[in-house]
Amino acid sequence: MIYIIDHQDSFTWNVVHQFSQFDKVHCSDYFDINKKFLNKSDVIVFSPGPGSPKDYPETSKIYKKYKGLKKMIGICLGFQLILYNEGGKIRQQNKIYHGYQSKIKVNGKSKIFKKNKVFNIGRYHSLKLNEPYFSKNLNITMRCTKTNTAMAFEDNLNKIYGFQFHPDSFLTENGNFFIKKILSSK
Amino acid sequence: MIIYKYKDGYKIFTDFSKRIVLNNSNIKKFLNNITKKKFKREQDLYIGFFGYEILCNLLNIRIKNQKKNGFYKGLFYKPETIIDLSKKIKISSTLKNQNFNYRFNQTKILKPFKVNINFKKYKKIFNLFSKKIRAGETYQIKICTKYKNKSEIDPVSFFWKLMSVNSSPESFMIRDKNYSIVSCSPETLIEKKGLCVTTKPIAGTLKKNKNLNKSKALSFFKNNNKETKEHNMIVDMERNDLSKICKPGTVVIKKKKYVEEYKHLYHYVSTIEGMLKNNINLKDIIKSMMPGGSVIGCPKIRTLQLLNSQEKEGRNIFTGSFGFIKFNMDMRFNIIIRSILNYKNVSEISAASGVVLDSSSKKEFSENYIKAKSLLELFK
Repeated sequence: MIYIIDHQDSFTWNVVHQFSQFDKVHCSDYFDINKKFLNKSDVIVFSPGPGSPKDYPETSKIYKKYKGLKKMIGICLGFQLILYNEGGKIRQQNKIYHGYQSKIKVNGKSKIFKKNKVFNIGRYHSLKLNEPYFSKNLNITMRCTKTNTAMAFEDNLNKIYGFQFHPDSFLTENGNFFIKKILSSK
Repeated sequence: MIIYKYKDGYKIFTDFSKRIVLNNSNIKKFLNNITKKKFKREQDLYIGFFGYEILCNLLNIRIKNQKKNGFYKGLFYKPETIIDLSKKIKISSTLKNQNFNYRFNQTKILKPFKVNINFKKYKKIFNLFSKKIRAGETYQIKICTKYKNKSEIDPVSFFWKLMSVNSSPESFMIRDKNYSIVSCSPETLIEKKGLCVTTKPIAGTLKKNKNLNKSKALSFFKNNNKETKEHNMIVDMERNDLSKICKPGTVVIKKKKYVEEYKHLYHYVSTIEGMLKNNINLKDIIKSMMPGGSVIGCPKIRTLQLLNSQEKEGRNIFTGSFGFIKFNMDMRFNIIIRSILNYKNVSEISAASGVVLDSSSKKEFSENYIKAKSLLELFK
């Protein structure tokens, strides 16, 4: 089962439908967690949402509790939330991307996606990862071809993954592909 | 009496046998009771509106410290007579003799229009919301301004006058003893037939001129960064709202980013559709789809909270929904925009336009005026 933690976003249910293609999904608000289901789940997904990671201490607690024990995936705010808990600084961008389609490119650090592959993806974010950023296990694996902004990461040791863009958006071409690859990675 | 635009014609609903005033505590019961009713005739439906506040309340969003004029939070009628004014006129009625003996006022303007927030105040809210967008708290937010005068109106003549210049697909009129509404709403929020639910969000409006045609309008929208971004966001948001109540895999964009032509303007529209999950009730549908995303902003909950903290005056019907629910659960609802509400001898016209980072406060403030203009002109 996949547990999706909703940060009261208006895109979360697109994420739910996308993941539902691969497994049973349970979704609840971040302040209304069903602990039994969460414990039983194989994968935890942190949804997009308004604000910044520091606004959601409840979700950070869940992340820390299950790190290394379950596969975890962060999307948009969820992506930032994982990086924030891994010592990253999240800051405002100069140019803001809401409803944009951009190109991103896979770099050599990815173990799941092919190097140099380019994708068209949809973005909804005001904030981004402040760089340079270093982590022992976590690698930035995709970047915006224009601005170089970090757009995806992989921690293949702890099975933690994140997308700054929205695989769930209609602006992302072949969005299901990203989710399928991450869910099937062993 | 209620008139509602229907395809190429109009339907008149009248001879009301019930008038149900909604409030925060009886709305659930009202929706539940419909489930128990039987649909036998065309008149077996409730027609009316949900105001903005009652919809916020369904989402557990409370509105504090707003000036209110005591207008209904929601009101539904059970018609016994429906007159279909299409190519052929058809009357369906439960009554043998229709009686109609109320007297209504002629239009009288007692005091001229005034706008409730001036540019200085508007700019202050605009700048605050721009900051909130930069901080990621909202991605898009729509500020409402209101024009009010003192007047009595004859809504029927207003309505037909309006239809002669702008007969948009979700137009309607309500004339009751103590209030009236005249609207040329263009936007269908929910059209439900059986298990199939369709929504048709509009994001992007272009005024017509001699040099424009439909395909030029389309390329304008496509090449305009602000319109494209706003539209994309609304499409994803409406997909989300439908996904909440629909079976996984059934939510699809039926028609992506096309232009609809009206007498004075072009709209940038998408059509999105889904099939309802089995255990979904009327309240779930209303809660998930209303208030309509395209007139609020995104993400809905946080954006509604921000709006309610800054707007000092109740929205009443504005950005609520008007429509009908048949006793077989089929329904059609619009988003109430471009409307005149006349209550206690005050006419109010509201308009809203969006703050996204590429917009300027001056442009959006005057866009609010442009949106209200065709309604303001009815008083001339």
